[in-house]
Amino acid sequence: MNFPLYVFRGFLRIRQEVNLLVLIGFFGISTIGNAQKTITFGKGNATNVTVSSSSNASNQTGIKTLMSSGYLPNKNSAARLLSQATLGTTYADIESVATLGVEKWIDQQFALPNSFNLTNYLQNLHQATTDSLRRTDPSRTIYNVAVSDWIFDVTWFQGHMTAPDILRWRVALALSEIFVTSRISTFENNPYALASYYDMLLENSFTNYRTLIEKITYHPSMAVYLTYMNNHATDNNNGKLSFPDENYAREIMQLFSIGLFKLNLDGTEMKDGTGKSIPTYDNNDIANLAKVFTGLSWGDSQYLGERYKDYWSYTKKLKFYAVDSSDYYIRPYRRPNNRIVNGHEVGPKTFLGQTIPQRPVAQGELDIKDALDILANHPNTGPFISRRLIQRLVMSNPSPAYIQRVATIFNNNGSGVRGDLKAVIKAILVDPEARDCCNNGNTEFAGALKEPFIRYTNLVKGLELTAQGGKYRNAMRRAYDKMGQLPLNSPSVFNFFSPDYIPDGPLKTAVKYAPEFQTLNSQTLTGYLNAINNWLIHNDAVEYFSYFGGETYKVQEDAKFDHTADYPLTRNDRLTQLLDKYNLILAHGRLSEATLNTIKKALLGMPLNITNGVINADDATRRIRIAIYLIMSSPDYMINK
Amino acid sequence: MNRRDFIKQSGCAAMGATTMLSTLTSLGAVNGAISHKKFSEENAAFNDYRALVCVLLAGGIDSYNVLVPRGTSGADIGYNEYAATRGDLAVPQASLLALNNPQCTGFRGFNCNYGAFGIHPAMTGMRDLFNAGKLAFMANVGTLVEPITSAAQFQSGIKKVPEGIYSHSDQIMQWQTSVPQSRTALGVGGRIAELLNASNTNDKISMNISLSGKNSFQAGDTVSEYSISNNITPAAIGLESVPTWWNNAGLVNELRDAAIDSLVGQTYANLLQQTYSGITKSAIASYDIFKDAVRRVPSFATQFPTTSLGNDLSAVAKVMSVRNNLGAKRQIFFITYGGWDMHDNLEGGMNQKLPVVSNALKAFYDATVELGIADKVTTFTISDFARTVTSNGLGSDHGWGGNSMVMGGSVKGGKIYGAYPSMNLTDNTQSISFRGNFLPAVSTDELYAEMALWYGVSPADLCYVLPNLSNFYSYTPNNYPIGFMNFNGTTISTDDRPQTCLTY
Repeated sequence: MNFPLYVFRGFLRIRQEVNLLVLIGFFGISTIGNAQKTITFGKGNATNVTVSSSSNASNQTGIKTLMSSGYLPNKNSAARLLSQATLGTTYADIESVATLGVEKWIDQQFALPNSFNLTNYLQNLHQATTDSLRRTDPSRTIYNVAVSDWIFDVTWFQGHMTAPDILRWRVALALSEIFVTSRISTFENNPYALASYYDMLLENSFTNYRTLIEKITYHPSMAVYLTYMNNHATDNNNGKLSFPDENYAREIMQLFSIGLFKLNLDGTEMKDGTGKSIPTYDNNDIANLAKVFTGLSWGDSQYLGERYKDYWSYTKKLKFYAVDSSDYYIRPYRRPNNRIVNGHEVGPKTFLGQTIPQRPVAQGELDIKDALDILANHPNTGPFISRRLIQRLVMSNPSPAYIQRVATIFNNNGSGVRGDLKAVIKAILVDPEARDCCNNGNTEFAGALKEPFIRYTNLVKGLELTAQGGKYRNAMRRAYDKMGQLPLNSPSVFNFFSPDYIPDGPLKTAVKYAPEFQTLNSQTLTGYLNAINNWLIHNDAVEYFSYFGGETYKVQEDAKFDHTADYPLTRNDRLTQLLDKYNLILAHGRLSEATLNTIKKALLGMPLNITNGVINADDATRRIRIAIYLIMSSPDYMINK
Repeated sequence: MNRRDFIKQSGCAAMGATTMLSTLTSLGAVNGAISHKKFSEENAAFNDYRALVCVLLAGGIDSYNVLVPRGTSGADIGYNEYAATRGDLAVPQASLLALNNPQCTGFRGFNCNYGAFGIHPAMTGMRDLFNAGKLAFMANVGTLVEPITSAAQFQSGIKKVPEGIYSHSDQIMQWQTSVPQSRTALGVGGRIAELLNASNTNDKISMNISLSGKNSFQAGDTVSEYSISNNITPAAIGLESVPTWWNNAGLVNELRDAAIDSLVGQTYANLLQQTYSGITKSAIASYDIFKDAVRRVPSFATQFPTTSLGNDLSAVAKVMSVRNNLGAKRQIFFITYGGWDMHDNLEGGMNQKLPVVSNALKAFYDATVELGIADKVTTFTISDFARTVTSNGLGSDHGWGGNSMVMGGSVKGGKIYGAYPSMNLTDNTQSISFRGNFLPAVSTDELYAEMALWYGVSPADLCYVLPNLSNFYSYTPNNYPIGFMNFNGTTISTDDRPQTCLTY
């Protein structure tokens, strides 16, 4: 998208000197001319960016001025973008955005390949564990070494710390909280079910909604989680009547595509003549769509109805079975008189006012394609998915106009493509409402409470936790035990929190949403602060996980924070710099003066012994850790805005 | 020194991860009664102690396999009809645990279709309590705005129907708010606490205590839940200190705590920051008093099972044991025990989870006997909905009205209240779907109203707690909504606190 330069060109010709530019989103033309000395434009979206290149030289054109570095975000606004577009910010990332600019950085991230395959990494860990066990005791016969879901967490953390495609990693986590599967399920102890599903999300974070929803539908983890694995046509087996399972039909509509109520393009609910919301579907729609999702089984099944066989069954795309020939396999002694019935339900299926045509059972898989088309093309899907993604990445209460802008891009990326996720993500991140530092002056509802788990990823990224040799071994147990959140560990398909959750107090009065507050109570709050106390203050940064009993402890994989570079900043006269540094990295500079002063006062009260000009390392470390602990417990940090 | 091997534990979630789906309504920041803007400041002079314990079986329990018709001959062939409809989901007749003369008589025009009943074979504790008169069943209770008498009336559209029937998020919320026409209603427990919170002398610890974090049931306008973990030990409460080997660790702790107080004590224009600050402030304010009370928890002779529900109910019993230290005359506890959405593996799932429920509830009842407060504590189960009585092959799908349990020394137990629907789906006027989903015979309002009157809510205030109640019931002396509570020794309150009813 091109910046509308012509608007400014004329303006700059008139003014010989521009002292102060307040940069906001590139639609921010409307605020030009706010004051004689202040104009507002650009992509950096931070206040107090000075562009000094406007000159009196008669041959200096406005265009050159605008192409200058004044366009780029300053470090605070670069860090702010990263707080929305990544799971944690290093100083180098901030410099990268500040150098490239927002759009270029996003494009560069889009161009990076999916760099980390969890299933492969996990498989290697699994193999290494098996090999080590063999070596430990060559006399033993070892096969089928069990690995728990915790090895998925170790794998996830490795990817988080090392993958350069950090925007993809942010988006994939968001998708995992919209298209929810969870280990709190039949596959609670199967890391492959988790890794394979997460890989699918990573792989499709930048594809297309229609592609994504099909990959999800055909993923065995979802099929098991929402119980359409081996889902069967209506059947009457020896007097025992059974019907298609309705679970996926219901949740794919309620949670993954259109939602319960008809929406306008801006995400607000349509109302009927009496002012009531209009349901998108009823139970007949559910029963009909349930018939569509019949006939799917494991990719390595022999027949519809086969139970899963091994870890790897969870990594293979589902297979469609038109007929149920299970009896042929289960009771071979009856051949050839086995009961063979339709596995997929035949007949027309009407839902959402559209009818999937009757077709031969052998072609029944086309029903699934048709149904996914209907859902992907439904007018609700754009605003429904857009609002959820905005909430995950940017803010709890996007304006209807913001949702509409993103949903419009969802419906058509400008090249006639619907559901282009790259376009949608970019639209979300470059939108004026996302980039505007000041939320158009409406700061009351700006931002979102940081998800508990993301506070932890902020910490380890921001402090550049490093494992010697590059291998992290972190089961991340505290994140879950103390704060209740880990990837793919939601209590239900409804995620850790609802998009429509309204906490008690002033937000209720204002009727504004704050989903993440659903996880915040006196227990999880204490848990969070105590978890930082463990990770940071005790420098117990990772929950080291042994792959098997009696394994040799590998100290280099038990990563610790290293604060030595910051020691000089702990002197009383340099504390401001220490706080500025972490204010930028953890909070993109949004800590208020009052907050900074409070923290500084506490730090000044802590002893700092300096002998012959050398700062006592323990004292310095403790000041740094308390500084970060307090930053991360401050409301200025907790509400990302 | 830093090496740790994490041993995998089964069961996970050691502490209060969020409750599944507390959903749209609020709950929140303030633990105690910070402000009683609408209500009298006077204490409601309760002399005795009373508590309600809400156990949410999240996910929609298939309660037609909990309470099962047992008759196979003569005029009562309930089991035959049940087995024919449920197909491969039917619990074998011989395995059912018989209930002694359950006296199911019907309710508000709905017949109880059968005479003989049994319960799932995994629930011996519940069978024993039922037969001992300490446990009652509510048959076919569910979310309703107003009475709906038949499938034809339901389909005609002339009656108000709950929003989003069959949807987990809506129904689990509506069971907790009892306002099925609204997505923004407060919770039943929250509204009760607003009326009566002042009767507790300590405003730092809420009347509403949750073992499962945020939930809709305890959502109030001015009173929110106090969330605790089931680890009731002083060390588990409050902020951990910096390492003891630090120089001046005590000083650093003080500096840290003072800084946090100051950070959350600032005035914030942003409402999310305000909300976070409020939650933090009230959490910190509660640490000391709760910690101090917890030090006085006695040891129990009653053995609780070490399941998540057992641990949670054990924690409730421990908190009840120090109720005087907490200054509590009235308490409402909330626990979620999830995993009931059994579209698949219904038989195995029920066999695994129902003993957990039965054993934990039985132990909890025994603990209240041990504390001498069995008749002061009423425990009840709720769920999103019941499930289709027909099968989807290996499980069942979302339904509506279902069966609940109410347990306690003041419950007129040994009886099935409500009206058990006919399991024969042919020409069944209560079933609204070919899959077998039942119009509730009893509303959640009636269930809650009876307990609210017992708990100390006045008849005049019932319309604040249960805005739809007048569609089903109006109070007259000695005429109770359902009749399952023993009101001997209960003085019906004459308060008239909020002055106005709530309407949605």
